[in-house]
Amino acid sequence: MLKSLFDSIGQVALFGAKAIRDAWVPPFEGEYLLMQFYEIGVGSFFLVVASGLALGVVMTLHTRSTLVQFGATAEIPVFQSLAFFNEIGPLVAALLMAGRVGAGIGAQLANMRATEQIDAIETLSVDSFKLLVVTRVIACTVMLPLLTMFMDAAGIFGGFLSEHIWSHLSWTLYMQRAFDGVALADFLPPTLKTAVFGYLIAVISCFYGYNTNEGSDGVRKAATNSVVVSSLVVILADVILVKCIFFLFPDQAI
Amino acid sequence: MTEGQAGVAAIAFEQVEKGFDDRKVLDKVSFTVAQGEALCILGRSGTGKSVTLKLMIGLLMADAGKVLVTGKDMSALDEHGLVKVRRKMGYLFQSAALFDSFTVNENLCMPLHRLDPNKSPEEIKRVVEETLGEVGLAKDGNKMPSALSGGMQKRAGLARALVLQPEILLVDEPASGLDRITASEIDALLMKVKTERHTTMVIVTHDINGARKIADKFAVLDQGRLLAFGTPQELDSRNDNRLQQFIAERC
Repeated sequence: MLKSLFDSIGQVALFGAKAIRDAWVPPFEGEYLLMQFYEIGVGSFFLVVASGLALGVVMTLHTRSTLVQFGATAEIPVFQSLAFFNEIGPLVAALLMAGRVGAGIGAQLANMRATEQIDAIETLSVDSFKLLVVTRVIACTVMLPLLTMFMDAAGIFGGFLSEHIWSHLSWTLYMQRAFDGVALADFLPPTLKTAVFGYLIAVISCFYGYNTNEGSDGVRKAATNSVVVSSLVVILADVILVKCIFFLFPDQAI
Repeated sequence: MTEGQAGVAAIAFEQVEKGFDDRKVLDKVSFTVAQGEALCILGRSGTGKSVTLKLMIGLLMADAGKVLVTGKDMSALDEHGLVKVRRKMGYLFQSAALFDSFTVNENLCMPLHRLDPNKSPEEIKRVVEETLGEVGLAKDGNKMPSALSGGMQKRAGLARALVLQPEILLVDEPASGLDRITASEIDALLMKVKTERHTTMVIVTHDINGARKIADKFAVLDQGRLLAFGTPQELDSRNDNRLQQFIAERC
């Protein structure tokens, strides 16, 4: 059991390393890469923004009910922005991507394997790994930080809507309070860590999809494993990366 | 055309063995296919016919023995060498294996864009239109594979296999899942490719009637071994009941 776990980790690591190596070797499959940017980025945009908006509203409602007891409702905007920049935005955007994109990648590649489409690509003298895996890994790695920024923005806007309805707080005052005392280090490292999440989600999902060989049952397993394993790995990676951020930016830990 | 006339054989199997887990699928199989020749591989399901095709194009590698394509040992080639050999080959899959997120046109454009970057978009468009016209799909280029019937998918798959003008065409079960009329249309297309382009062909099939129309030679596989190899006339004259089960014409 333990041996098979380490075996799988080793295989995924080699698969991920190959994706990084092949990303620098031409041909770069630009047209297909743009398709992936669109599919992964634009395709996830509304889900991420809607979730961010809803979370922003709900978060503010919860925070208000607690802070009102201490007369600290003026702090709601900055709590909201710090919570979204540091953790909620990056983690929720990554988990949404693992759910939507990870399952899609796993199922699509597994289906392509089952219907011999991957073999067909190889017979046409095209490197299927570069075409199908490398493009998706690059697209996820680049798009997740961008989606995280949209999630942060939607969350803060959701917070504003809630506050505006409850206390008629103006947009200018809300934004002033939301960014008061927020440093670049509060925003940049957590947002950039999502590039690692995007890479992990794509590598794990592609690994399960690309290497399946069990027909329609393989498609089901690949889709399920892609979501479950990549979500779990993102959460574990988050713990490690937060520790790394605290180490590199000690002010963040205070 | 015989091997002697054409020089190096297009494809040669030398004592090839291939197994999966503990099951041996091919056991010391040897034969050659001369350039311009059409070989039909016959045999029961699970006797290694499709595996033989996949060994020819390097999707699988032999456990023992040699698979030579235009004189090159497939298992000795690096990635670049494999691409160069595959560039000379086309493969029609049993399920056609069209890329389901691309239109038929895009399915044909994909290899042209990548393997012939000097071709202008207009030239690529012309080649795609010509090839689709050859298989009778001139008006269906903008359709998605899911919008095509089984026979049309096979035609589109054949067009994609032919778009790079391969010297060798590998065909896996061209009649599978098709009615007899559509299957004969596919056979007619393969005949046309053979006579007009002089393409070397290896066809895996259960359809003995279709095979008799196209094949210069038959290879009969049985339980992983080569039961018989020769021209249809040679094999017909053999007094072997087991062999006749595979090659007798059916009504």
